[in-house]
Amino acid sequence: MAFVPVYILILAFTILIDYFAGIYIEKTEGKRRKLYLIFSLVANIGVLAFFKYYNFLDNNLSFLLHSFGLTNPIPYLSILLPIGLSFHTFQAMSYTIEVYRGHQKAERHFGIYSLYVMFYPQLVAGPIERPQNLLHQFREKYNFDYDRIVEGLKLMLWGFVKKLVIADRLAIYVNAVYNNPQQHNGMTFLIATIFFAIQIYCDFSGYSDIAIGAAKVMGFKLMTNFNRPYFAKNISEFWKRWHISLSTWFKDYLYISLGGNRVSVPRWYFNLLLVFIISGLWHGANWTYIIWGALNGFYLVFAIITYKFRKKISTVLGINKLPNISQSLQIITTFILTCFAWIFFRANNVTDAFDIIKKISTFKGPVFIEDPSMIIYPILAIFLLLFVELKQEYYKGDFSFLNNKNWILRNLSYTILIILILLFGVFDGGQFIYFQF
Amino acid sequence: MLKFLVYDKKRNPYKYFFFKLIILFAFVFVSDFLIGNLLRYYYFKQQRGADYLTTYSIDSTKADLLIFGSSRASHHYQPSVFENRLNLTCYNAGRDGSFLFNHYAILEAVLKRYSPKIIILDFSDGEFLKNEDNYDRISSLLPYYKNHPEMRSIIELKSPYEKFKLLSKIYPYNSSLLIIAGGNAIFSKKKREDINGYIPLTRVWNDSIRNENAPIKYEIDSTKVKIYESFIRDCLNSKVKLYISCSPHFIKYTHRDYSIILAQEIAKKYNIKFFDHLQDSIFINNSELFADPLHLNDKGAQLFSNNIADSILSN
Repeated sequence: MAFVPVYILILAFTILIDYFAGIYIEKTEGKRRKLYLIFSLVANIGVLAFFKYYNFLDNNLSFLLHSFGLTNPIPYLSILLPIGLSFHTFQAMSYTIEVYRGHQKAERHFGIYSLYVMFYPQLVAGPIERPQNLLHQFREKYNFDYDRIVEGLKLMLWGFVKKLVIADRLAIYVNAVYNNPQQHNGMTFLIATIFFAIQIYCDFSGYSDIAIGAAKVMGFKLMTNFNRPYFAKNISEFWKRWHISLSTWFKDYLYISLGGNRVSVPRWYFNLLLVFIISGLWHGANWTYIIWGALNGFYLVFAIITYKFRKKISTVLGINKLPNISQSLQIITTFILTCFAWIFFRANNVTDAFDIIKKISTFKGPVFIEDPSMIIYPILAIFLLLFVELKQEYYKGDFSFLNNKNWILRNLSYTILIILILLFGVFDGGQFIYFQF
Repeated sequence: MLKFLVYDKKRNPYKYFFFKLIILFAFVFVSDFLIGNLLRYYYFKQQRGADYLTTYSIDSTKADLLIFGSSRASHHYQPSVFENRLNLTCYNAGRDGSFLFNHYAILEAVLKRYSPKIIILDFSDGEFLKNEDNYDRISSLLPYYKNHPEMRSIIELKSPYEKFKLLSKIYPYNSSLLIIAGGNAIFSKKKREDINGYIPLTRVWNDSIRNENAPIKYEIDSTKVKIYESFIRDCLNSKVKLYISCSPHFIKYTHRDYSIILAQEIAKKYNIKFFDHLQDSIFINNSELFADPLHLNDKGAQLFSNNIADSILSN
């Protein structure tokens, strides 16, 4: 992942193609419309495939040919992945698809279309917007709206806390453990995996909050990208709460195009698996991401297959009569399943991932603590997150901190968050994880 | 009374917004000032720990012989050995997780106060390697920015924005709350783990030696090389006898480290003695002298300190 100034030309290339493709799709009828769409999709996917997957495919081909005693004639290229490529490519693709489907008029103003693809707050890590939601907003006039600006700034502030105080703090422990898999035991990996689950959530949703907040300050409304996903009661609900802009993208443009659930049952399962495998591949050119995607697809298929059986067991055991316990168990189970999948997402390679799983299954300790602050700060950070999210999820109307009517309490709440950033924020070069995708 | 200051949100939204912003800034400024100064007070009141040792090196020590370096300095050089063998007072200013930038900044602060007779700089393999993480470690010097202008140019290497970040009184103590609490805790005042800055490691390494095929050449950080040369020049200008030393590893390398070769060449240019013990056979064949592959234990440190004292006496 890198920012190379000349890479702006890649963006210019796809913007030009999609701009004209949109206009021609709208102008023409019949087969030629489809041809323009295919041309645009091939250009976008081609750029993404070249920069993101060329070397991955080349490496795998080399491995395959090597096992047959052959050498790979295709050279390895030292190319850097342009920052945010996967995000703005998907946003651009949604435009031409929506124009093709007739849900969106082609944008005639080149500047406005370019802004749609390059809108700064969400250019590098989303949310991946749809043209129906964003394009018209560039034509609207915005007045100085105090409440809107304050809401945007509050969202940004909480996003910074999530990123600097929680995600980057947890990352210190996670990186120390996951980057040295040989030196750590099962209990340490268990802790590191839970930490990673929180880290990636705070890292990415923190970025989304900052992006949505920054856009709001300027008057733009971007789509919600996260909705407290770790309170999901099953995997299907998790994906409705996690990276919503990407999940809905795959649902709208791939899953439904494949037939969704209006096909035979085996084909439906296949559709689900395929969408999740591609979603994994979208995250990175590595087998670890593919397995992560496949695992999530498998969870969904398994949940569908066992739905009736699980319901029966719940009735027999009487758990369904205890909604609080039943919901808590569902939330915990979903969290454990997602944590298990995160192992593949975070491990440096597939071998490491399996070694880590093997170690975790032994539950052997002691937990690695190089310095007490390495574990105490993350635990405090998790409590802070849990407190805020529990309140947002279950006690929304109750006492409010950032929206308190008392101006002293309100300002104190803002101040506490700023002081928390200064006291516990990690300022040393922590990148947003999702910038690499 | 202050009614004339309160603007109407609908009629004067800009003024209303800036008025609210000023109120928030006032809250933040006061909190930052109070908490920052409280942390500063307790930071410099610490009685033990790495921060205390750094503060002592910067502000108090008057030792004839000073040792500079990373964890490998703080665990490898026993001041008592040098005091007995060389008849000089000695203090170990080494610190875990520090790099050339930190050593040079502390040297500048020391030389402003006095000139030690001898300085030993422990040079680590890969010291010149380009690595952003090394710049991050400069953050341990942030508390000294205010009172030590001689250290500022080094601290500002951390990032071009450091000057602005340091407008906050809390920022220099970022992530230090627990350490400051530990350094001030009653139990810690009684229990000091260092002996004149030297921190002994008592455990014994039992594993067999490993071979490592490190890269022959790697990207060199020219800023680090400049800092290294400045370290040498400042010692020479202050008439300090400087020795540079590489302490042993319990790892067998296939070839010499590129940074060490470069550092030795530079030292030669300034006529500075450079003792390379990285692959010293006395140590590399004896795991009992190590606490881990990169650090000597107390027994190893005693033997190594004696070897360095011998070298100094024979030069």
